[in-house]
Amino acid sequence: MMAGCLATLNSHAQQQTTVIDSTLLERVAALEQQVADQKPGESHFMVVGLTTFGFVQHKTIFTPPGGISTAVKTNSLADADNYELSPMLLWRHGTRFLIEFEPSFDGTNLGVNWANISYFAAPGLVIHAGYFVVPFGIYSKRLAAGWIDKVATDPVGTDLPGSDFGVGLSGGLPLGSMKWSYDISLTNGLQLLPDGELQGAGVADNNNNKTVSGRVSLLPFSNSSLEIGVSALHGGVADAGSHYNNANVTMYGADINFVKNFDPILINIKGQYTRINVNKQYYTNPADSSLYSFNNKTSSLFGQLSIRPVGIDNPVFKNFELAYRYITYTAPNSSSWGQNYHENDFGLDYWLSWRTVLKLSYERRHSLSTANTTVGGTAGTTNVNSIYLQFSIEF
Amino acid sequence: MKKINNKTWVMLAMLTMIIAIIINGCAESKLVAAKSGAQLWAENCQRCHNTPSPSSFSHEQWVTIGMNMQTRAKLTDKEREKIVAFLQQ
Repeated sequence: MMAGCLATLNSHAQQQTTVIDSTLLERVAALEQQVADQKPGESHFMVVGLTTFGFVQHKTIFTPPGGISTAVKTNSLADADNYELSPMLLWRHGTRFLIEFEPSFDGTNLGVNWANISYFAAPGLVIHAGYFVVPFGIYSKRLAAGWIDKVATDPVGTDLPGSDFGVGLSGGLPLGSMKWSYDISLTNGLQLLPDGELQGAGVADNNNNKTVSGRVSLLPFSNSSLEIGVSALHGGVADAGSHYNNANVTMYGADINFVKNFDPILINIKGQYTRINVNKQYYTNPADSSLYSFNNKTSSLFGQLSIRPVGIDNPVFKNFELAYRYITYTAPNSSSWGQNYHENDFGLDYWLSWRTVLKLSYERRHSLSTANTTVGGTAGTTNVNSIYLQFSIEF
Repeated sequence: MKKINNKTWVMLAMLTMIIAIIINGCAESKLVAAKSGAQLWAENCQRCHNTPSPSSFSHEQWVTIGMNMQTRAKLTDKEREKIVAFLQQ
Protein backbone atom coordinates (compact mmCIF):
# COMPACT_ATOMS: atom_id res chain seq x y z
CA MET A 1 0.00 0.00 0.00
CA MET A 2 2.85 2.33 0.95
CA ALA A 3 4.47 1.56 -2.38
CA GLY A 4 1.20 2.38 -4.18
CA CYS A 5 0.95 5.81 -2.46
CA LEU A 6 4.55 6.62 -3.31
CA ALA A 7 3.95 5.70 -6.95
CA THR A 8 0.86 7.96 -7.08
CA LEU A 9 2.78 10.89 -5.54
CA ASN A 10 5.65 10.35 -7.93
CA SER A 11 3.24 10.34 -10.89
CA HIS A 12 1.66 13.64 -9.74
CA ALA A 13 5.11 15.21 -9.30
CA GLN A 14 6.09 14.12 -12.80
CA GLN A 15 2.90 15.62 -14.27
CA GLN A 16 3.54 18.91 -12.44
CA THR A 17 7.14 18.97 -13.65
CA THR A 18 5.95 18.38 -17.21
CA VAL A 19 3.50 21.29 -16.98
CA ILE A 20 6.12 23.63 -15.52
CA ASP A 21 8.70 22.56 -18.10
CA SER A 22 6.27 23.13 -20.96
CA THR A 23 5.31 26.60 -19.71
CA LEU A 24 8.93 27.52 -19.18
CA LEU A 25 9.89 26.31 -22.63
CA GLU A 26 7.10 28.33 -24.24
CA ARG A 27 8.14 31.41 -22.28
CA VAL A 28 11.80 30.96 -23.21
CA ALA A 29 10.85 30.50 -26.88
CA ALA A 30 8.75 33.68 -26.79
CA LEU A 31 11.62 35.62 -25.20
CA GLU A 32 14.06 34.27 -27.79
CA GLN A 33 11.70 35.38 -30.54
CA GLN A 34 11.40 38.86 -29.03
CA VAL A 35 15.18 39.16 -28.91
CA ALA A 36 15.51 37.89 -32.47
CA ASP A 37 12.90 40.36 -33.70
CA GLN A 38 14.86 43.27 -32.23
CA LYS A 39 18.35 42.12 -33.06
CA PRO A 40 19.78 43.56 -36.27
CA GLY A 41 22.41 41.77 -38.31
CA GLU A 42 22.89 38.48 -39.98
CA SER A 43 19.72 36.85 -38.68
CA HIS A 44 17.66 39.35 -40.72
CA PHE A 45 19.61 39.06 -43.92
CA MET A 46 18.41 36.70 -46.60
CA VAL A 47 18.98 35.92 -50.25
CA VAL A 48 16.10 35.14 -52.57
CA GLY A 49 15.87 35.84 -56.29
CA LEU A 50 15.37 33.90 -59.46
CA THR A 51 17.02 32.21 -62.36
CA THR A 52 15.63 31.52 -65.81
CA PHE A 53 17.19 29.57 -68.65
CA GLY A 54 16.07 27.62 -71.66
CA PHE A 55 16.09 27.08 -75.38
CA VAL A 56 14.66 29.27 -78.13
CA GLN A 57 14.20 28.78 -81.85
CA HIS A 58 13.33 31.75 -84.07
CA LYS A 59 12.26 31.78 -87.69
CA THR A 60 12.37 35.31 -89.09
CA ILE A 61 10.85 36.16 -92.48
CA PHE A 62 11.54 39.65 -93.81
CA THR A 63 9.74 40.97 -96.86
CA PRO A 64 10.82 44.34 -98.31
CA PRO A 65 8.20 46.41 -100.20
CA GLY A 66 7.66 44.69 -103.56
CA GLY A 67 10.61 42.39 -102.89
CA ILE A 68 11.32 38.75 -102.22
CA SER A 69 11.06 37.32 -98.73
CA THR A 70 14.11 36.04 -96.96
CA ALA A 71 13.98 33.60 -94.05
CA VAL A 72 16.51 33.12 -91.28
CA LYS A 73 16.39 30.40 -88.62
CA THR A 74 18.28 30.60 -85.34
CA ASN A 75 18.59 28.27 -82.37
CA SER A 76 19.95 29.38 -79.04
CA LEU A 77 20.32 28.00 -75.55
CA ALA A 78 20.37 31.47 -74.04
CA ASP A 79 19.59 35.04 -74.98
CA ALA A 80 18.36 38.15 -73.21
CA ASP A 81 14.80 36.87 -73.38
CA ASN A 82 15.36 33.49 -71.82
CA TYR A 83 18.37 33.63 -69.55
CA GLU A 84 18.64 35.52 -66.29
CA LEU A 85 20.26 35.05 -62.90
CA SER A 86 19.07 37.61 -60.38
CA PRO A 87 19.84 36.97 -56.71
CA MET A 88 17.91 39.43 -54.53
CA LEU A 89 19.48 40.45 -51.25
CA LEU A 90 17.05 41.49 -48.53
CA TRP A 91 18.03 42.94 -45.18
CA ARG A 92 15.62 44.28 -42.65
CA HIS A 93 16.38 46.31 -39.57
CA GLY A 94 13.67 45.53 -37.03
CA THR A 95 10.30 45.91 -38.70
CA ARG A 96 10.74 49.47 -39.96
CA PHE A 97 13.57 49.33 -42.51
CA LEU A 98 13.97 47.05 -45.50
CA ILE A 99 16.87 47.15 -47.95
CA GLU A 100 16.50 45.42 -51.34
CA PHE A 101 19.31 44.88 -53.81
CA GLU A 102 18.94 42.80 -56.96
CA PRO A 103 21.88 42.49 -59.35
CA SER A 104 21.09 40.67 -62.57
CA PHE A 105 23.11 38.85 -65.20
CA ASP A 106 21.32 38.32 -68.53
CA GLY A 107 24.04 36.45 -70.37
CA THR A 108 25.63 39.61 -71.72
CA ASN A 109 25.47 42.32 -69.10
CA LEU A 110 25.66 42.48 -65.34
CA GLY A 111 23.18 45.12 -64.24
CA VAL A 112 21.08 46.09 -61.27
CA ASN A 113 17.30 45.74 -61.28
CA TRP A 114 16.85 47.72 -58.08
CA ALA A 115 18.75 48.89 -55.01
CA ASN A 116 16.63 50.80 -52.55
CA ILE A 117 15.68 51.27 -48.94
CA SER A 118 12.12 51.36 -47.61
CA TYR A 119 10.98 52.88 -44.34
CA PHE A 120 7.66 51.61 -42.99
CA ALA A 121 6.70 54.94 -41.48
CA ALA A 122 3.07 54.37 -40.50
CA PRO A 123 0.13 52.13 -41.40
CA GLY A 124 -0.42 52.62 -45.12
CA LEU A 125 2.73 54.67 -45.63
CA VAL A 126 6.06 53.30 -46.87
CA ILE A 127 8.76 55.79 -47.87
CA HIS A 128 11.35 54.47 -50.29
CA ALA A 129 14.52 55.92 -51.77
CA GLY A 130 17.29 54.78 -54.05
CA TYR A 131 17.09 52.95 -57.36
CA PHE A 132 13.66 51.37 -57.74
CA VAL A 133 11.08 50.32 -60.30
CA VAL A 134 9.18 53.49 -61.21
CA PRO A 135 5.49 53.12 -60.35
CA PHE A 136 3.73 52.77 -63.67
CA GLY A 137 1.42 49.94 -64.69
CA ILE A 138 1.40 46.48 -63.21
CA TYR A 139 3.84 44.44 -65.30
CA SER A 140 7.32 45.70 -64.43
CA LYS A 141 6.88 45.75 -60.68
CA ARG A 142 4.88 42.57 -60.16
CA LEU A 143 4.72 40.25 -63.15
CA ALA A 144 8.07 40.39 -64.94
CA ALA A 145 9.85 37.67 -62.97
CA GLY A 146 10.28 34.48 -64.99
CA TRP A 147 8.68 32.30 -62.29
CA ILE A 148 5.60 34.58 -62.31
CA ASP A 149 5.17 35.37 -66.00
CA LYS A 150 3.01 32.80 -67.80
CA VAL A 151 4.82 33.04 -71.14
CA ALA A 152 8.52 33.15 -71.90
CA THR A 153 9.03 36.78 -72.89
CA ASP A 154 8.15 40.24 -71.62
CA PRO A 155 5.39 42.02 -73.55
CA VAL A 156 6.66 44.69 -75.94
CA GLY A 157 6.07 48.22 -74.65
CA THR A 158 6.38 47.52 -70.92
CA ASP A 159 10.07 48.40 -70.59
CA LEU A 160 9.48 52.11 -69.89
CA PRO A 161 9.82 53.84 -67.48
CA GLY A 162 11.83 50.97 -65.92
CA SER A 163 13.98 51.60 -62.83
CA ASP A 164 15.24 55.02 -61.81
CA PHE A 165 16.84 56.98 -58.96
CA GLY A 166 14.57 58.93 -56.66
CA VAL A 167 12.25 58.95 -53.68
CA GLY A 168 8.67 57.77 -53.32
CA LEU A 169 5.70 57.04 -51.12
CA SER A 170 3.42 54.03 -51.33
CA GLY A 171 0.85 52.08 -49.39
CA GLY A 172 -2.21 49.88 -49.41
CA LEU A 173 -5.28 50.87 -47.43
CA PRO A 174 -8.70 49.47 -46.62
CA LEU A 175 -11.76 51.28 -47.89
CA GLY A 176 -14.70 49.56 -46.24
CA SER A 177 -14.96 46.19 -47.94
CA MET A 178 -12.81 47.48 -50.79
CA LYS A 179 -9.13 48.31 -50.84
CA TRP A 180 -7.01 50.87 -52.65
CA SER A 181 -3.33 51.58 -53.09
CA TYR A 182 -1.08 54.41 -54.16
CA ASP A 183 2.53 54.59 -55.29
CA ILE A 184 4.07 57.93 -56.24
CA SER A 185 7.65 58.90 -56.92
CA LEU A 186 9.97 61.73 -57.84
CA THR A 187 12.83 60.48 -60.02
CA ASN A 188 15.57 61.66 -62.38
CA GLY A 189 13.43 60.74 -65.36
CA LEU A 190 13.87 59.55 -68.91
CA GLN A 191 16.30 60.67 -71.59
CA LEU A 192 15.36 61.63 -75.16
CA LEU A 193 17.68 60.05 -77.73
CA PRO A 194 18.64 61.73 -81.05
CA ASP A 195 16.08 59.62 -82.97
CA GLY A 196 13.22 60.48 -80.60
CA GLU A 197 13.24 57.25 -78.60
CA LEU A 198 13.34 57.30 -74.80
CA GLN A 199 15.54 55.47 -72.34
CA GLY A 200 16.33 55.59 -68.62
CA ALA A 201 18.71 58.47 -67.82
CA GLY A 202 20.83 56.41 -65.43
CA VAL A 203 22.79 57.41 -62.36
CA ALA A 204 24.06 60.71 -63.83
CA ASP A 205 20.94 62.83 -64.32
CA ASN A 206 20.79 64.36 -67.80
CA ASN A 207 18.99 67.59 -66.81
CA ASN A 208 17.70 69.67 -63.90
CA ASN A 209 14.11 68.52 -64.28
CA LYS A 210 12.63 65.79 -62.17
CA THR A 211 9.89 63.39 -63.18
CA VAL A 212 6.70 62.80 -61.23
CA SER A 213 5.02 59.44 -61.64
CA GLY A 214 2.40 57.47 -59.85
CA ARG A 215 -0.12 54.69 -59.89
CA VAL A 216 -3.40 54.47 -58.01
CA SER A 217 -5.41 51.26 -57.87
CA LEU A 218 -8.75 50.11 -56.55
CA LEU A 219 -9.71 46.58 -55.50
CA PRO A 220 -13.50 46.85 -55.50
CA PHE A 221 -14.29 43.35 -54.15
CA SER A 222 -13.62 42.21 -50.60
CA ASN A 223 -11.87 39.05 -51.87
CA SER A 224 -9.25 41.18 -53.73
CA SER A 225 -9.97 39.28 -56.96
CA LEU A 226 -10.10 42.39 -59.15
CA GLU A 227 -7.64 45.26 -59.26
CA ILE A 228 -7.93 48.23 -61.59
CA GLY A 229 -5.07 50.69 -61.77
CA VAL A 230 -4.30 53.96 -63.51
CA SER A 231 -0.85 55.45 -63.93
CA ALA A 232 0.68 58.71 -65.08
CA LEU A 233 4.15 60.16 -65.53
CA HIS A 234 5.41 63.59 -66.53
CA GLY A 235 8.88 65.07 -66.76
CA GLY A 236 11.57 66.74 -68.84
CA VAL A 237 13.63 64.44 -71.06
CA ALA A 238 16.18 66.57 -72.93
CA ASP A 239 19.87 66.50 -72.09
CA ALA A 240 20.96 69.79 -70.49
CA GLY A 241 22.24 72.12 -73.20
CA SER A 242 20.77 70.12 -76.08
CA HIS A 243 18.94 71.74 -79.01
CA TYR A 244 15.53 70.39 -77.91
CA ASN A 245 12.87 72.94 -77.01
CA ASN A 246 11.57 72.18 -73.49
CA ALA A 247 11.24 68.51 -74.38
CA ASN A 248 9.02 66.56 -72.04
CA VAL A 249 7.19 63.27 -71.89
CA THR A 250 3.74 62.47 -70.58
CA MET A 251 2.78 58.85 -70.06
CA TYR A 252 -0.68 57.49 -69.27
CA GLY A 253 -1.54 53.94 -68.39
CA ALA A 254 -4.31 51.65 -67.22
CA ASP A 255 -4.07 48.10 -65.97
CA ILE A 256 -6.31 45.29 -64.82
CA ASN A 257 -5.69 42.17 -62.79
CA PHE A 258 -8.41 39.57 -62.17
CA VAL A 259 -7.67 36.28 -60.42
CA LYS A 260 -10.49 34.08 -59.20
CA ASN A 261 -11.07 30.44 -58.50
CA PHE A 262 -14.13 29.08 -60.33
CA ASP A 263 -13.72 25.62 -58.88
CA PRO A 264 -11.95 23.62 -60.24
CA ILE A 265 -10.45 26.24 -62.60
CA LEU A 266 -8.34 29.21 -61.56
CA ILE A 267 -8.89 32.08 -64.01
CA ASN A 268 -6.15 34.65 -64.33
CA ILE A 269 -6.57 37.78 -66.49
CA LYS A 270 -4.01 40.53 -66.75
CA GLY A 271 -3.68 43.55 -69.01
CA GLN A 272 -1.95 46.88 -69.37
CA TYR A 273 -2.30 49.83 -71.72
CA THR A 274 0.46 52.43 -72.03
CA ARG A 275 0.63 55.65 -74.03
CA ILE A 276 3.77 57.75 -74.35
CA ASN A 277 3.58 61.30 -75.71
CA VAL A 278 6.67 63.39 -76.32
CA ASN A 279 5.93 67.02 -77.22
CA LYS A 280 6.92 68.28 -80.68
CA GLN A 281 10.65 68.32 -81.24
CA TYR A 282 13.09 68.34 -84.13
CA TYR A 283 15.46 65.41 -84.41
CA THR A 284 18.74 65.08 -86.26
CA ASN A 285 18.96 62.98 -89.42
CA PRO A 286 22.11 60.85 -88.99
CA ALA A 287 22.68 60.84 -92.77
CA ASP A 288 23.06 64.59 -93.34
CA SER A 289 22.49 66.25 -89.91
CA SER A 290 19.33 67.98 -91.17
CA LEU A 291 16.40 68.36 -88.76
CA TYR A 292 13.11 66.48 -89.10
CA SER A 293 10.02 66.02 -86.96
CA PHE A 294 7.23 63.52 -86.43
CA ASN A 295 4.30 62.99 -84.09
CA ASN A 296 6.16 61.21 -81.28
CA LYS A 297 3.38 59.12 -79.74
CA THR A 298 3.76 55.45 -78.85
CA SER A 299 1.09 53.11 -77.53
CA SER A 300 1.12 49.53 -76.38
CA LEU A 301 -1.38 47.06 -75.00
CA PHE A 302 -1.17 43.54 -73.73
CA GLY A 303 -3.92 41.25 -72.52
CA GLN A 304 -3.35 37.82 -71.05
CA LEU A 305 -5.62 34.95 -70.04
CA SER A 306 -4.45 31.83 -68.28
CA ILE A 307 -6.35 28.91 -66.80
CA ARG A 308 -5.22 26.21 -64.40
CA PRO A 309 -7.29 23.30 -63.04
CA VAL A 310 -6.11 23.72 -59.45
CA GLY A 311 -9.21 22.07 -58.01
CA ILE A 312 -9.00 18.69 -59.72
CA ASP A 313 -7.70 15.59 -57.90
CA ASN A 314 -5.22 14.43 -60.53
CA PRO A 315 -1.80 15.41 -59.10
CA VAL A 316 -0.26 15.78 -62.56
CA PHE A 317 -2.94 17.64 -64.54
CA LYS A 318 -3.63 20.12 -61.73
CA ASN A 319 -0.12 21.52 -62.27
CA PHE A 320 -0.65 22.39 -65.93
CA GLU A 321 -1.56 25.94 -66.92
CA LEU A 322 -2.63 27.20 -70.33
CA ALA A 323 -1.92 30.80 -71.28
CA TYR A 324 -2.73 33.13 -74.18
CA ARG A 325 -1.39 36.65 -74.59
CA TYR A 326 -2.07 39.29 -77.23
CA ILE A 327 0.17 42.31 -77.69
CA THR A 328 -0.19 45.33 -79.92
CA TYR A 329 2.39 48.09 -80.16
CA THR A 330 2.36 51.20 -82.32
CA ALA A 331 5.55 53.22 -82.72
CA PRO A 332 5.37 56.67 -84.35
CA ASN A 333 4.90 56.88 -88.13
CA SER A 334 7.78 58.56 -89.97
CA SER A 335 10.24 58.01 -87.15
CA SER A 336 13.26 55.78 -87.75
CA TRP A 337 11.64 53.01 -85.70
CA GLY A 338 7.96 53.41 -86.73
CA GLN A 339 5.96 50.19 -86.86
CA ASN A 340 2.59 48.58 -86.29
CA TYR A 341 3.25 45.44 -84.31
CA HIS A 342 1.05 42.53 -83.24
CA GLU A 343 1.93 39.43 -81.32
CA ASN A 344 0.04 36.27 -80.35
CA ASP A 345 1.55 34.04 -77.68
CA PHE A 346 0.46 30.59 -76.58
CA GLY A 347 1.87 28.99 -73.47
CA LEU A 348 1.72 25.60 -71.78
CA ASP A 349 3.26 25.68 -68.31
CA TYR A 350 3.93 22.91 -65.84
CA TRP A 351 4.35 23.93 -62.22
CA LEU A 352 6.92 21.73 -60.48
CA SER A 353 6.29 23.64 -57.25
CA TRP A 354 4.63 26.94 -56.35
CA ARG A 355 7.78 28.79 -57.50
CA THR A 356 9.26 26.47 -60.12
CA VAL A 357 7.90 26.30 -63.63
CA LEU A 358 8.70 24.68 -66.96
CA LYS A 359 7.25 26.72 -69.84
CA LEU A 360 6.65 25.87 -73.47
CA SER A 361 5.72 29.01 -75.41
CA TYR A 362 4.91 29.57 -79.06
CA GLU A 363 5.01 33.22 -80.13
CA ARG A 364 3.98 34.75 -83.49
CA ARG A 365 5.05 38.32 -84.19
CA HIS A 366 4.04 40.48 -87.12
CA SER A 367 5.51 43.91 -87.72
CA LEU A 368 4.69 46.33 -90.52
CA SER A 369 7.23 49.10 -90.74
CA THR A 370 5.93 52.68 -90.88
CA ALA A 371 9.44 54.09 -90.54
CA ASN A 372 10.91 56.94 -92.52
CA THR A 373 13.68 55.37 -94.64
CA THR A 374 15.38 58.72 -95.28
CA VAL A 375 16.25 59.00 -91.58
CA GLY A 376 17.55 55.47 -91.15
CA GLY A 377 14.36 53.42 -90.96
CA THR A 378 13.80 50.12 -92.77
CA ALA A 379 10.63 49.55 -94.80
CA GLY A 380 8.99 46.15 -95.06
CA THR A 381 7.19 43.45 -93.14
CA THR A 382 8.74 41.16 -90.57
CA ASN A 383 7.19 37.93 -89.29
CA VAL A 384 8.84 36.01 -86.50
CA ASN A 385 7.74 32.62 -85.19
CA SER A 386 9.45 31.50 -81.99
CA ILE A 387 9.37 28.45 -79.77
CA TYR A 388 10.67 28.72 -76.22
CA LEU A 389 11.35 25.98 -73.72
CA GLN A 390 12.08 27.77 -70.50
CA PHE A 391 12.74 26.79 -66.89
CA SER A 392 12.39 29.32 -64.13
CA ILE A 393 12.74 29.10 -60.37
CA GLU A 394 12.53 31.48 -57.46
CA PHE A 395 14.97 30.60 -54.73
CA MET B 1 21.68 69.52 -55.41
CA LYS B 2 19.92 70.21 -58.65
CA LYS B 3 17.00 72.62 -58.89
CA ILE B 4 13.53 71.12 -58.98
CA ASN B 5 10.82 72.83 -60.96
CA ASN B 6 8.30 74.76 -58.78
CA LYS B 7 5.39 73.11 -60.59
CA THR B 8 6.81 69.72 -59.66
CA TRP B 9 7.00 70.68 -55.96
CA VAL B 10 3.40 71.93 -56.00
CA MET B 11 2.15 68.74 -57.67
CA LEU B 12 4.04 66.59 -55.18
CA ALA B 13 2.76 68.60 -52.20
CA MET B 14 -0.84 68.35 -53.44
CA LEU B 15 -0.57 64.62 -53.99
CA THR B 16 0.91 64.13 -50.53
CA MET B 17 -1.89 66.17 -48.94
CA ILE B 18 -4.59 64.24 -50.78
CA ILE B 19 -3.05 60.94 -49.73
CA ALA B 20 -2.73 62.09 -46.10
CA ILE B 21 -6.42 63.07 -46.03
CA ILE B 22 -7.55 59.80 -47.58
CA ILE B 23 -5.31 57.68 -45.31
CA ASN B 24 -6.92 59.23 -42.25
CA GLY B 25 -10.39 58.48 -43.60
CA CYS B 26 -9.73 54.81 -44.40
CA ALA B 27 -11.25 51.99 -42.38
CA GLU B 28 -12.03 48.35 -43.04
CA SER B 29 -15.48 46.77 -42.85
CA LYS B 30 -16.36 44.05 -40.31
CA LEU B 31 -16.33 41.51 -43.14
CA VAL B 32 -12.74 42.35 -44.00
CA ALA B 33 -11.65 42.67 -40.36
CA ALA B 34 -12.91 39.15 -39.64
CA LYS B 35 -10.77 37.52 -42.31
CA SER B 36 -8.17 35.01 -41.16
CA GLY B 37 -4.53 34.97 -42.21
CA ALA B 38 -5.16 31.79 -44.20
CA GLN B 39 -7.99 33.44 -46.15
CA LEU B 40 -5.93 36.56 -46.87
CA TRP B 41 -2.96 34.38 -47.91
CA ALA B 42 -5.20 32.53 -50.38
CA GLU B 43 -6.75 35.71 -51.77
CA ASN B 44 -3.77 38.02 -52.02
CA CYS B 45 -0.71 35.95 -52.94
CA GLN B 46 -2.35 34.49 -56.05
CA ARG B 47 -3.02 37.99 -57.42
CA CYS B 48 0.56 37.80 -58.75
CA HIS B 49 1.91 34.28 -58.18
CA ASN B 50 1.05 30.87 -56.76
CA THR B 51 0.33 30.74 -53.05
CA PRO B 52 3.57 29.98 -51.20
CA SER B 53 4.05 27.01 -48.93
CA PRO B 54 4.52 28.00 -45.25
CA SER B 55 7.54 25.68 -45.12
CA SER B 56 9.40 27.67 -47.80
CA PHE B 57 10.97 30.14 -45.37
CA SER B 58 11.80 30.37 -41.67
CA HIS B 59 9.89 32.37 -39.05
CA GLU B 60 12.33 35.28 -39.37
CA GLN B 61 12.43 35.14 -43.14
CA TRP B 62 8.65 35.35 -43.42
CA VAL B 63 8.77 38.71 -41.61
CA THR B 64 11.24 39.99 -44.21
CA ILE B 65 9.32 38.48 -47.11
CA GLY B 66 6.12 40.02 -45.74
CA MET B 67 7.68 43.48 -45.78
CA ASN B 68 9.01 42.92 -49.30
CA MET B 69 5.59 41.78 -50.54
CA GLN B 70 3.88 44.73 -48.88
CA THR B 71 5.99 47.13 -50.94
CA ARG B 72 5.16 45.26 -54.17
CA ALA B 73 1.55 44.13 -53.84
CA LYS B 74 0.52 47.07 -51.65
CA LEU B 75 -0.91 44.89 -48.92
CA THR B 76 -2.46 46.72 -46.01
CA ASP B 77 -0.56 46.50 -42.72
CA LYS B 78 -3.19 44.22 -41.19
CA GLU B 79 -3.14 41.92 -44.20
CA ARG B 80 0.63 41.61 -43.97
CA GLU B 81 0.54 40.90 -40.23
CA LYS B 82 -2.15 38.23 -40.55
CA ILE B 83 -0.59 36.53 -43.58
CA VAL B 84 2.88 36.44 -41.98
CA ALA B 85 1.41 35.08 -38.72
CA PHE B 86 -0.35 32.33 -40.71
CA LEU B 87 2.80 31.43 -42.62
CA GLN B 88 4.83 31.26 -39.40
CA GLN B 89 2.55 28.63 -37.87
